[in-house]
Amino acid sequence: MKRPFARRSFSLVALSAATALSVLAACGSPGGGDEDTSSKATAKIPELGKDQKVSIVFESYNFGQAGPWTDTFNELIGKFEKAHPNIDVTPQKPQGSSPNPATDTVSSLQSQIAAGSPPDVVQLGFSDLDFSIHSLKVKPLDDLVGKDAVQANFDGAKHPFAPTARTLANWDGKTYGVPFVFSTPVLYYNASIFAEAGLDPAKPPKTWDEAQQYARTIVDKTNRDGLYLDCLTKIAKDWCFQSLVRSNGGRVVSENRSTLTYAQPPAVEVLQKAQGWVKDGLTPVLGQKQAYESFARGDIGMFLETSAIQGTFVKGSKGKWDLKAAEMPSFGSKPTVPTNSGASLFILSDDPAKQRAGWELIKFLTSEDAYKTISTKIGYLPLRTGLVDDPNGLADWAKANPLVVPNIAQLARMEPWVSIPGVNYIQVRDGMMDAVEKIVYQGADPQSTLTAALKQGAALLPKA
Amino acid sequence: MTLATDPPVTEPSATGPSATGPSATGPSATGGAPVTNFDAPVIAGGRSRTRVVVGHLTLALLGLACVFPIYWLYATSLRRPGDIYELSPLPWPLSLDSYRTAFDEVDVARLLLNTTVVATLTALGQLLTSLLAAYAFAAWSFPGKRLLYLAFVASWLVPFQVSMLPNYVLLHQLGLLNTLSGVIIPNVVSGLGVLLLRQHLDSFPKELLEAARMDGRSSWSTLWTVVVPNLRAALAALGILLLVNAWNEYFWPAMVLQRDNSVLQLGIRSFMSATEGNDWGPLTATAGLACLPIFVIYLVLQRHVVSGFVRSGLR
Repeated sequence: MKRPFARRSFSLVALSAATALSVLAACGSPGGGDEDTSSKATAKIPELGKDQKVSIVFESYNFGQAGPWTDTFNELIGKFEKAHPNIDVTPQKPQGSSPNPATDTVSSLQSQIAAGSPPDVVQLGFSDLDFSIHSLKVKPLDDLVGKDAVQANFDGAKHPFAPTARTLANWDGKTYGVPFVFSTPVLYYNASIFAEAGLDPAKPPKTWDEAQQYARTIVDKTNRDGLYLDCLTKIAKDWCFQSLVRSNGGRVVSENRSTLTYAQPPAVEVLQKAQGWVKDGLTPVLGQKQAYESFARGDIGMFLETSAIQGTFVKGSKGKWDLKAAEMPSFGSKPTVPTNSGASLFILSDDPAKQRAGWELIKFLTSEDAYKTISTKIGYLPLRTGLVDDPNGLADWAKANPLVVPNIAQLARMEPWVSIPGVNYIQVRDGMMDAVEKIVYQGADPQSTLTAALKQGAALLPKA
Repeated sequence: MTLATDPPVTEPSATGPSATGPSATGPSATGGAPVTNFDAPVIAGGRSRTRVVVGHLTLALLGLACVFPIYWLYATSLRRPGDIYELSPLPWPLSLDSYRTAFDEVDVARLLLNTTVVATLTALGQLLTSLLAAYAFAAWSFPGKRLLYLAFVASWLVPFQVSMLPNYVLLHQLGLLNTLSGVIIPNVVSGLGVLLLRQHLDSFPKELLEAARMDGRSSWSTLWTVVVPNLRAALAALGILLLVNAWNEYFWPAMVLQRDNSVLQLGIRSFMSATEGNDWGPLTATAGLACLPIFVIYLVLQRHVVSGFVRSGLR
């Protein structure tokens, strides 16, 4: 009796040891960029020779979605390859199984780096900026191609980037990435519900207090939901929450990014307000997707959202209700501080020829022509804002799409979506947004919940 | 299936005698009488009848709850694109626009073919390796048998995510990333399959194996001429399970196939997007189509399973 038992426990030990080893091996390898690559990249990369064939891999979360996104991007890549016959581009989406490919970007790069085959050009969100630069080691464009070339690309042939957009992917005065697609928080509203409730559809709320009154009227008179902010759940990430807190005079992380500050009065006040809206039945208790589908169906009066979701709203409202857009409301007389969502393009490759080819691709994708295609086919915000006034640019499109107006107006005073420092940034951000969600939708006490979350988050920040 | 048929089986014996009298209407209808005037069969009958009714109701509700999401899937896929967010239980007027969009935006036929190839090869591979391994475990004793068996069990217990990265790196070294073989090959051995088949083979009469050996059959021919024919029911049941698993596999293809949405499950995901919200119409249409083949296969194979059980029972 004794021996088999002993043997079994031995084999179990052996097995668990083997398992533990493989777990360790799996955890230890990704993200281990080495230090010498960044110093190597300080010399400018040479231009490509005329007959020098280069193939690069471009990873973007825009691929892999059926419909206009993939079609438009494939069209752009096709045009690029025609203009640069010596460069071959293989597009790919991030690997991973989450329903939203944009959340897989970083983990996808980590496993590909571990396998030794990272893509050459990548599209990464602004929330990942610190990690992208310091852990994934995206290359500083200023060093690769020179500051002048980078600025020349921002200036463009005729229409420069919006000044606030140019520096979004900068770090310590160096440009690492070229901002590509993003939005500011826009207040979409259902003008048909406004009319039904006796509100003036031409006068959207200017402040949150006004928005609250409007929501009250909508709930009382039409039996629809009043107001939803897609900024207060974990899945929404913190880009728009940062905007709300900053518009109320605060920050979620200090200006020098050394301490978390989201338990201070400005954040607490924002959440008290939002919690009140849920308690008073003005804001429905819905998850992000449920909420924007409910708005698309015509069941919510006002909706603060990125213009990325605009397509869903346009489709849902078509022939049924009147979709309008306004700038985000303010907290009393304080000016609003719109932040940006979205992503930039970076170069990850260590190979000079691929780096050069990657830079050509980035220049092409952020050119005036590319923005013309992207805006007309997908409806995204053209970061070269002059295009919307240019009759040869997007003037006609802008006239037919008044929804873009508030977004472009907000671009002028936009502030960056600040990435949280350290390798634990996602956990810190999720912890904060978990607390926010608990407060707003589950009625937790704002101050104590934020303080508790902040304490946990602060412990995860890098030690100074 | 078996759940739904359980209560009626018990019904005749319990309600039979009680159905004679009018008092069978139940304890509450007779006022305070049942408490003192104890009439065992009547009360038992009444109680069992309510129990049957309640049981059926519960099962019917559970059944509805199970079927409803599937109904909603097809209902949504048949709505007009403008009605996608409607909550009316009946989609009307019906429209095939979502299916048209799905076929326009995604090569559904190719995805169906790819998924069929991947699922079939994976399931067959798993079935074959499981059979060989389980046969070895059942037919022979050899040193390290227990340890080896535990290793199989452990491979089933350890979540796939744990071994994902080493697998991925190996595929990269083999140059199999972004290929269907890359999806199939790491999955051709199934710990679960070995586990289940070994249980079956353990209960396989050893005398038969002995007899086959005395007849001078090799192990190989014993496996195929003696064991497999008698194991058809178990193999069919396991085959269905493995096929459905392989058909629904999403995580691993999402890792390996970065450059193309080559299988159905990835095709379905391509209608969920980071930037525009979900395109429910074509999404439900593709998902609805993806369910059909597996449903048909299940129906066909299930008959084999049942008849297999029945035959073995009669022998």
